[in-house]
Amino acid sequence: MSDPGLNASESQPSPVLELRNVTVPGRQLPRLEGIHLRLEAGERVALLGASGAGKSTLLAVANGLLQPTQGEVIWSGERRARSSRARRRQQARIGTLWQDLRLIEELSVQQNLNCGRLASWGWPRAMLNLLLPLESEACAQALRQVDLDPHLLSQSVGELSGGQRQRVAIARLLRQQPQLLLADEPLASLDPRLAQELLQLLLEQATAPRVLLLSLHRPDLLQGFDRVIGLRQGRICWDRPVAQLQTSDLEALYAGIAEPSLAR
Amino acid sequence: MKPAAPLLLLLPALALLPLLVLLPGLVHGGGWDLIGQFLLAAVQPSTDPVVLESLLRGLGVTAGMALLGWCASLLIGIAAGLASSRLLWRTLIGHSWPAEGIRRLLAIPRSIHELIWGLLLLQVIGLQPVIAVIAIAIPYGALVARVVSDLLDSLNDRNLQALMAAGTAPPAALLSAMGPPLLPGLISYGGYRLECALRSATLLGVFGLGGLGNELLLTLQSLQFHELWSGLWLLLAVMLSLEAVIGALRRRWGMPGRFSMRAAGVGRRGRELVLAGLLLVPLVFGVGRALAIEPAALLHWQALPPIAPGGWQEALALPWPSLVFNTVLLTLLAAALAVGVAPLLLLLVAPWPLGQRLLQLIWAIGRLWPPPLTALLLLFVFKPGVITAALALGFHNLGILGRLLLEGSEAAGPQRQEALRCSGTGPRLALLYGRFSGLARSYLAYGAYRADVILRETVVVGLVAGTGLGSQLNQSLSAFAFDQLLLLLVAYAALTLLGEDLSDRARQRLLQQ
Repeated sequence: MSDPGLNASESQPSPVLELRNVTVPGRQLPRLEGIHLRLEAGERVALLGASGAGKSTLLAVANGLLQPTQGEVIWSGERRARSSRARRRQQARIGTLWQDLRLIEELSVQQNLNCGRLASWGWPRAMLNLLLPLESEACAQALRQVDLDPHLLSQSVGELSGGQRQRVAIARLLRQQPQLLLADEPLASLDPRLAQELLQLLLEQATAPRVLLLSLHRPDLLQGFDRVIGLRQGRICWDRPVAQLQTSDLEALYAGIAEPSLAR
Repeated sequence: MKPAAPLLLLLPALALLPLLVLLPGLVHGGGWDLIGQFLLAAVQPSTDPVVLESLLRGLGVTAGMALLGWCASLLIGIAAGLASSRLLWRTLIGHSWPAEGIRRLLAIPRSIHELIWGLLLLQVIGLQPVIAVIAIAIPYGALVARVVSDLLDSLNDRNLQALMAAGTAPPAALLSAMGPPLLPGLISYGGYRLECALRSATLLGVFGLGGLGNELLLTLQSLQFHELWSGLWLLLAVMLSLEAVIGALRRRWGMPGRFSMRAAGVGRRGRELVLAGLLLVPLVFGVGRALAIEPAALLHWQALPPIAPGGWQEALALPWPSLVFNTVLLTLLAAALAVGVAPLLLLLVAPWPLGQRLLQLIWAIGRLWPPPLTALLLLFVFKPGVITAALALGFHNLGILGRLLLEGSEAAGPQRQEALRCSGTGPRLALLYGRFSGLARSYLAYGAYRADVILRETVVVGLVAGTGLGSQLNQSLSAFAFDQLLLLLVAYAALTLLGEDLSDRARQRLLQQ
């Protein structure tokens, strides 16, 4: 559902994701506090921060799973749609790569890949997907894009190796064709080589008009990103191009010596 | 073309199609206004103090019978379960053949429904309060025995072997090594049997063995629906409280859930467990006194009428193929309805804001409402027969399976469903793909077990809805034709044991895939 009021005063295209003064309360400290963020089409942005800094919460707000108590989230110029149908259309443009992947182990690779299309499919097609191999060529293409052999399509996800599952999860995102690509520490449990390979895959997918927002633990993987945002205790500590990142920035983020107001 | 897991879950609901085609032909003239009055009375239950007092007294009797029957069944079941454990005999004497023999013997009391035990004891002993208790204790004891022996035999016996190798005496080694891991599964299952015992005691009351069931039947037959609903709401309150207490204790004591009967580590809070066990003893004696239970009454048997000459020929001339066919058809239809409709309803209704609560209420009513009363109610508008009986039995088991499905669905965790919702998938498809995928096999395996229970329960609705072996059993009992009765019991036992074997195979196949 388009919100003309949001775009009327702006001559340039709307950002793919915009967070305005977003706050999410927590038990003692806020999980997020006063977050302002704009992601433009084609940007590849990394979120850095220690455990509990609010990275997962920010991504949950960005993918609509969590609604902030204060502030607003705007996706391509649209606020959160009220009708469920419009909301689903909005959500279909947001793809998330979860840390635990959330693949459906009991289904085949092909059925899992087609889960990326469920938002646009009606019931008959969704039921048929549980009975017959549907859109095999598109699924095979998605697998090729993540360097997997299409013969895996008929295999159960439960039979795949860890690395193959990661790739299938990315292939499912490709089937979904989202505009906003979110990834919650997708490389956390991977060995360095596989982490680098998968990161490369994700970065390759994030070309305009697509946007990538990915949370990371490891600063050594920042190559290839345009921007990096440091989160600390639910606040943005700093937000700058990767090229301008200083060692002191990282020290501030992890050692907690930075002034939280630095970025605001 | 092989249906994937979530689709498997919905396939049994296809049984609705022939039912929808055949049901209009079964409708007879009047009765809809009575159904309307019955439904309206749900929101206007009687608050007459005299009625409430009588219902509460009946409820007390039912709860007391359930408690005593349950306790007796646990005592019988644990003893018989240990005696039929292969592991126990192998450890003690080096062979397991005594276990095999006892297992086969226990299959007979297990295969006969508590209602049949009740009606038989009624003929032999006369109307005594102890009858309901024994009627529950016999088949439940045999069921508990099977679960105890299966649990014990499926436990890892490494610790037992280690103790034996260290020279510990076999009985002490068994108690130390196998007792603690057996306890959580046993207590969890025991709690579930108490819920079942309450339902069985209500059912036995419907057939004249006292308690609230009897009150419910009388109010239904006299069309006093307001009074009927007062009884139902009271029973619902007791049943939901019992389920909540058992669920809370199960969680507090770290016992495994009911959806899969696998042992999940050693239970916690041993002192509380012992205290609860000790508290049961005075409670049982108090309830026994209050219900005027006289175990000695079991020793005074009444003489049975002699078998008429030519009775066996008459018994053999009964229409056995159609009796057995109708019983099997009734089982399959009721099982398909119960197994298939629960996920279908959950899919259709759960995404609505109050949908899940509404389903929980309907399922709770289905669980507590004895199937023969549903059959009687359905007879207001439908002709008697297999379909009417299947609807009654299906509704009751839908209540049980629906609750399990919901519990399993909640335990499965929301992550995969959430992930699908976040990618724009609708709430129903997200539920189907995200949650049902993981549940399908264990739910269907439980459904296979339930089909086996349903086969046993066909006698209950058969008595009322005039179909299958249950209907013939009723006629033979009324005619004191004990030759027919004996053959019917043999047929029932054989059918149930066959069903049990088939359901076991289906369950194992589903869980292994």
